[in-house]
Order: sequence, then structure tokens, then C-alpha cells
Amino acid sequence: MQRESSSARILATVFGIILGFVGILMTLPVPEPGADGADGAGTLEAYPAFAIVGARVFDGIQVLPEATVWVDGPRIHAVGTDLELPDDLPRIDGAGHTVLPGLFDAHVHTWGESRADAVRFGVTTLLDQFTAQAALDEALEDRRAGGSTHRADLFSAGILATVAGGHGTQYGIEVPTVDDPEGVEQWVKDRKAAGSDWIKIVIEHGYDRSEPTLDDATARRLIDAAHAEGLLAVVHIATLDDALKVADFGADGLVHIWYDRVPTDDEVAQLKDSGIFVIPAMAVLEGMVDPSPSMALAELDGFAAGLSETQRSSLTNRFPVELAPGFFDVPMESLRKLVAAGIPVLAGTDAPNPATAMGLSIHRELEVLVQAGLEPVQALASATRLAAEAFRVPERGRLEAGALADLVMVEGDPTVEITHTRRLVHVWKAGQPIGRRLAKPLEEAAPLEPKILADFEGESPAEGWSATTDERMGGESTVAFAVEGGALVIRGEILAGFNFPWSGAMTFLGSPAKAVSPEAEADLPPAFDLSGLSELRFRVRGDGRSYTVMLFHGSMQGVPASQSFETDGTWQTVSLPVQGFFGADLGRVRALAFTAGRPTGTFEVEIDDVELR
Amino acid sequence: MNPMTTAATTAAGGGPHGVSTARLRPYLLRAKYECVQMLRQPSFAIPTLVFPTMFYLFFGVLFAREGVSTYLLATYGTFGIMGPALFGFGVGVALERESGSLRLERVTPMPPMAYLGAKVSMSLLFGALVIVELFLIGAWLGDVRLERAQWFGLAGVLVLSILPFAAIGLALGVRLKGQGAPAVINLIYLPMSILSGLWIPIMLFPDVMKTLALALPPYHVAQLALGVLDMDEGQGAPFHLGVLAAYTAVCLALAIRGFRNLED
Repeated sequence: MQRESSSARILATVFGIILGFVGILMTLPVPEPGADGADGAGTLEAYPAFAIVGARVFDGIQVLPEATVWVDGPRIHAVGTDLELPDDLPRIDGAGHTVLPGLFDAHVHTWGESRADAVRFGVTTLLDQFTAQAALDEALEDRRAGGSTHRADLFSAGILATVAGGHGTQYGIEVPTVDDPEGVEQWVKDRKAAGSDWIKIVIEHGYDRSEPTLDDATARRLIDAAHAEGLLAVVHIATLDDALKVADFGADGLVHIWYDRVPTDDEVAQLKDSGIFVIPAMAVLEGMVDPSPSMALAELDGFAAGLSETQRSSLTNRFPVELAPGFFDVPMESLRKLVAAGIPVLAGTDAPNPATAMGLSIHRELEVLVQAGLEPVQALASATRLAAEAFRVPERGRLEAGALADLVMVEGDPTVEITHTRRLVHVWKAGQPIGRRLAKPLEEAAPLEPKILADFEGESPAEGWSATTDERMGGESTVAFAVEGGALVIRGEILAGFNFPWSGAMTFLGSPAKAVSPEAEADLPPAFDLSGLSELRFRVRGDGRSYTVMLFHGSMQGVPASQSFETDGTWQTVSLPVQGFFGADLGRVRALAFTAGRPTGTFEVEIDDVELR
Repeated sequence: MNPMTTAATTAAGGGPHGVSTARLRPYLLRAKYECVQMLRQPSFAIPTLVFPTMFYLFFGVLFAREGVSTYLLATYGTFGIMGPALFGFGVGVALERESGSLRLERVTPMPPMAYLGAKVSMSLLFGALVIVELFLIGAWLGDVRLERAQWFGLAGVLVLSILPFAAIGLALGVRLKGQGAPAVINLIYLPMSILSGLWIPIMLFPDVMKTLALALPPYHVAQLALGVLDMDEGQGAPFHLGVLAAYTAVCLALAIRGFRNLED
């Protein structure tokens, strides 16, 4: 008996240990259902190699009704209808779906997280038509390291060619201007040395034709110099005459369409003969008069959770101009004629200008191109192969063996119905699946109850107020503020330096506010929903100048929404409608500021009893 | 006839008692005492049970970049199960051989395989303990979240991977001097772990070192474990299993030859 129980006891212990081991394994945590994982990589697994089978495939040229796309590592191994796949190759069922090359946006301006923002919406290559040198440097670094897998690739003109005070100098980016025709060749050489992939030239007199711009001789010389260096020369124009002129000078492409008049058949023929391509950037023009089609994209189920604060902000921003609804007719009618004549048209959006968003807006641009007469397949080609060819971007824009595995998969058939690009299901960048949602969802914005923001009484009456000036855009304006006699006194001087100088005092709506810089996204103050409120009311005594209330919303990086008010040297009460902050994302307001702007000179203004109600 | 076979036959012949447990008894008892002995031996238990866990806690969780805890759970898991197998067999056999206790055991009526079975059981027990420690730290402190099948798969791969290391340990144990064995095995264990990418992910290695890692067994175990998590280098399980099987076969052959030499 002793023997038996001893063996049995050991066996029982062994089973006990195994049970305990299994029991512990059973209690270990599993991923929460629906969670995207820490890297936001979406529900799709990352495979070293895989195949999409049974999908309709647009390879950049033609449509294969049912084909296989075989991806191996960062590249496409093969595309075809009768591929023999290894048994153990993971397969993704593409039935009812269409696979396209990753999309291009041929007219963007990148900064911050633009490249990550773009790729979540299927745009895997950005052709940038002017950005700070730092963004270009980063892109070059990426290319040297073998390409990126988690954000869009960037090819860029880098710094643009413009004159002192001309278009392109107003964004706070340091631009070495082209003011001396003799310096043109050196300027182009400098761009090439700095890594510019092509040369972008600006001919822009401004909407009221008051801006300085490059003269004809210099523009022609820039185009010639670019060609001499083996670079493309593309031109920003705003009028048809300028377009015809630079086409005649030998420019390779136009990065906008004009809006002054519809070309005659002869003029269209002239453009056609020049061989020039056109990036009409309809999304930005349409947004000037009717942002609603772009705004509607943001509401789509598949898109809403992918929009970053920066994308929301640019989408809700508005140009500070009021244009007649008919403004968009000339570009639209002109584009129809270009399309009918067979002039090469490329898809570009000019994101992140007001009423556009990086990545998102290409889906509107494609629809407008089809409305202007392109077949859906042509529109898709304009956002893939044609863009790659026009800008000499290698390995992209086609689905063929050896090309980069930049892919998008959409439900339905965008080769027939272009809006199906919005039914985006999967995006792969260099073979890696891209999460379609933000890795970290935006924080909730609480509705702001009516409240007195500041009465400038008590122990530390100026707490939470900080200076805001154009210094962060390269300006030189100054400011100082203090509480005197129970009111906030703001004194300063507006100095020329930045095109739209400002200087004043700001406060965050979340209290107590930390003194953080508006540039630091990680330190953004809390956002509040102001849409339920009706007015901003405050008392003011100014020096006779006009002042502005700025509302900072979203990422706080875009143009703040603003309303102006006059002062007359006496105490007065000002009431501004909350809805009057045109272009603000009222659902996500973070701060407001009282500021002075042009004309230059000193100013002094007193503010009291600031109330939102 | 060899005295050992005689003893085994006698024991297995059994008496009136239940045949199955009687047959098992010497194996079970030998395994039990091996486990108890090793648990009571701090110079073995502490390094094998504490060090891998401590390293993972520091380098894989507390001072690690976000998101690496999952990857390193597989590689430190590999590191963790290597210890009991390499030291249990390598140092254990070397010491017991030199002290004469191995010779003593061979003249007892105990079945010959009970000795090896006990060492395998002990390695499995210690390996399982290390795995549990690492998994709990990863889950609680490292926010590691795996599908249920992945938890079991990872545990399974790691537990079974004890076998090739046991074979390596055995081949070393029959040859090494008892006193020098711990030092020699450490000189193999630690550099081999590092060069196999168990402490630093293999993808951060230069190409030359990646190629070198192909020759090391822990690399292949780690790749099998990472395969469960879809984080491997993509060379395929058959390749890794083949290399490990080859190592196991060669080391077992060396061990058998070593034992034969002992008998002469």
C-alpha cells in the first residue's frame, strides 16, 4: 500500500503541476475585441509575404476582372490571373473588392504628421509642391534608409521660387527668394544640392493683383535652368494668360488651374501642343466656395476614426475670403475642356489648405475629375501611374513584379464608380498593413457651460494668460500685459516681419491652464465643445485701433478663426456671436486670444469681464 | 548479462501489486528526488529561476521602449528555458559523474533511463516555472496581450525546446570536469544567448551577425517562439526544426559515445 500511494501521490503532483500551468495560461489576458493594438496596425496581420486572391485589380494601366496580387516583403512578387501560389502563403480574400496601386496626391504641402495622416486614407506617395527644407531632409533620410513602411513616401520641390514678399513667403518658412535674374542658375543648383526632386516656380499676382511676383524673363530662365540640371519645372499660376505663357516657356506642369476665364479652343490646342500636364487641385478651389463635399467625407464610417486633430483643423479652416458661388465654374469648365482635349491631368488637392485634409481630400478630387469628364479608370491612373510617370517617381504607381507593395483595397468597383475609393478596406505601405484608425483616439471635448472666463479680480488675476505673437511665424511683434485696476492691460508693438503680424494675450479654456507653447501637440490644453453657446461678451477700452478675437481649435496649428471689433477710447461692451467664428471647429476649441494686427505701431487695450454664454 | 538490465527486468517484473504504477515507481521517485534536490540547491535554483525573470523585468518591461515587451517575452522565454536544461544536464551529470554517484546509481536496480528521465522532468518543471514567471510579468507589467492560442503555443514551443538544450547539456556533462563545468557552460550559455538575439532583437544586428546566428540553436528556438507571435524573420518553421533536430541528434550521439567511454 505504501508503494502504491507514493507513486499515485507523485503522479497526482505531476497532474497538479500540469493543471496549474494550464490554469495560469488560461487566465492570461487576451487582446480586447476590436482593439487595434498598441501600434494601431489595424485588424490585419502583418505577413512577410501574402497574396490577395480573387479581387478585381487595377494595375495602373488596365483592369483585370479577377486576379492575384502576390506580395513578398516590401515588393510585389507577381500580379496575374494564373499564378501558382505556395500552399503556405497566407491569402487574403479579395472577392467583391478592388486592389489599386497606393494613391498619389500630386499637390500637397507637408509638415508635422502629414505623411502618417495621408497613408491612413490610402495615399502612399505625396508629391509636395513646397515645404520647409527639414521635411525634405527627412524624406531624403528615409529614402537612404530604404523607404518607409508606416507613412507615405515624400517627393518634393522643397523650397519654391518666388520673389521677396511674393506668394510663398507668408507661411513663416524661410525662403531664399529669387530676386536677381543672374542668380537663377545658382539658385536651381542650390535646390538640387538640397535634394529637391523638381523645381516649383510661382507666378501669382494675388486675387487683387497686388502681390509682387517673378517677371517673365526670370521665370523662363528658371525653367531653362531646371532643365539644364535635369529637373522638371512646374509652375503655380492663377490666370490663363500666365498658364499659356509658361507653357510656351517650356514648363513641364501646372500645379493649379486658373480661375479667371475659360480657354478658347485655340488656347486649349496651344496647351495641348506644349505637352504640359495639369494638376488642377480642384479640392482646394471648391473648398473656397463650397466646403460641404469635403466635410461630408469626414463623416464617413471608415474615415471618421482616422482623422487626426491636424486633419480636422485644416478641414474646418476657411480662407479669409468671400467668393461668389460661381467662382468654381471657370475652373470646372476649363478642366472639362482640358480633359476633352486629352491634356494629361493629375490628381492633387493642395492639402492641407483650408477645407482640405491630407489624404482624405484625394477622394473628393478623384470624384471632381470624373465629373469633369475623366473615365473612372483614367482618374485612377491620374492618381497612380500617370503621377509617377510625370514626376519620374520610380517603383510606384503600378502593380507589377518588382514594384513597391504600396496597395489599397476597396470594397466595390472604383473602376466604374469612382466614389468607391471611399470604401477603403485595407492599405499596405511597402507590404506592411496600415492601421486605418488613429493609434490614439482624440480625447473627448466636454461641452463648455456658460461661464465667466476672467474678471481680473482676486489674488492672481492674470493667472492662465500668456503672450501670443507672430514670433513663431518669424515675425518680430512684441507684447507685455498686466492686470491694472481690475482689468487686463495689453500693450505692445506691431512690427513688420511676418505678412500677417499679430500680438496679444491668450488664455486656455481649460483651467487652470498650464503655460505651454501652442506648437507642442503633446501639451495641448483640453478641448471644449462651444457649439451650444451663443456669444462671447467682454468689456473693452482701446486706443481707437481695431482688435481681433482669435479662437484656437483642434491642433492649434492652423489659422485661428477670428472676429474683429473696433475701439473708441471709452469702456464699451462687445458681444460676438460664437457662430461668427468662421472656420473654427467649435466642437474642439482650446483657447482664445485678444490681439492687435496691422497697421504697424504701438497699441494699448484693456479687457475685462470675459464671458462665454 | 549487464547488471543494469538484470536489475531493470527484476523491477519491471513486478509483484502482486498494480503493474503500471510499479513499473513507473522508480522513474517517478527518481524524478521527484531530482526535482526536490535541485529546488533545495540555491546555486542552481536561484540563477535559473531568478535571473531570466529579472533580466526580462528590467530590459523587457521596466526600461524598455513601448511595444517591445511582447517580442522580448519570446526571446527571454528562450533564454529562461535554456538554463535548467543546460545546467541541469551539463553541470549535474559532470558533478555526479566525478563524485561517483553516477557509478553508484548504475549498480542499483534502478532502470537506467530513470536517471535521464528525472533530469528531463526536472528541466521541464523548472522551465515551466520560468515560463509562468515571465508570462505573468509580461501580462501584468508589460501589457502583453496575446490570443489564448498564442499563449499556449508560446508555452508549448518553449517547453519542448528544453529537449535540444538537454541534449547539448548531456553531451557537455559527460566530458566536462565537475569543478569547471559551471564556468564552461556559462561561457557557452551567455554568449550564445546574446548572439542569437535573445537580449537584443536580431533585426538590429548587422548582416554578418545575423548570418552567424543561423548556426546557433537558441536563434532557431527564438524564431519558432516568435513565429507564434508573427514576429519571426520568416525563414519558416521546417528550417528551424531541422537545425534543432540536427543539433539534438549530434549531441545525443556524442553523449552516448561519452557514456560508452565511461564504461570502458
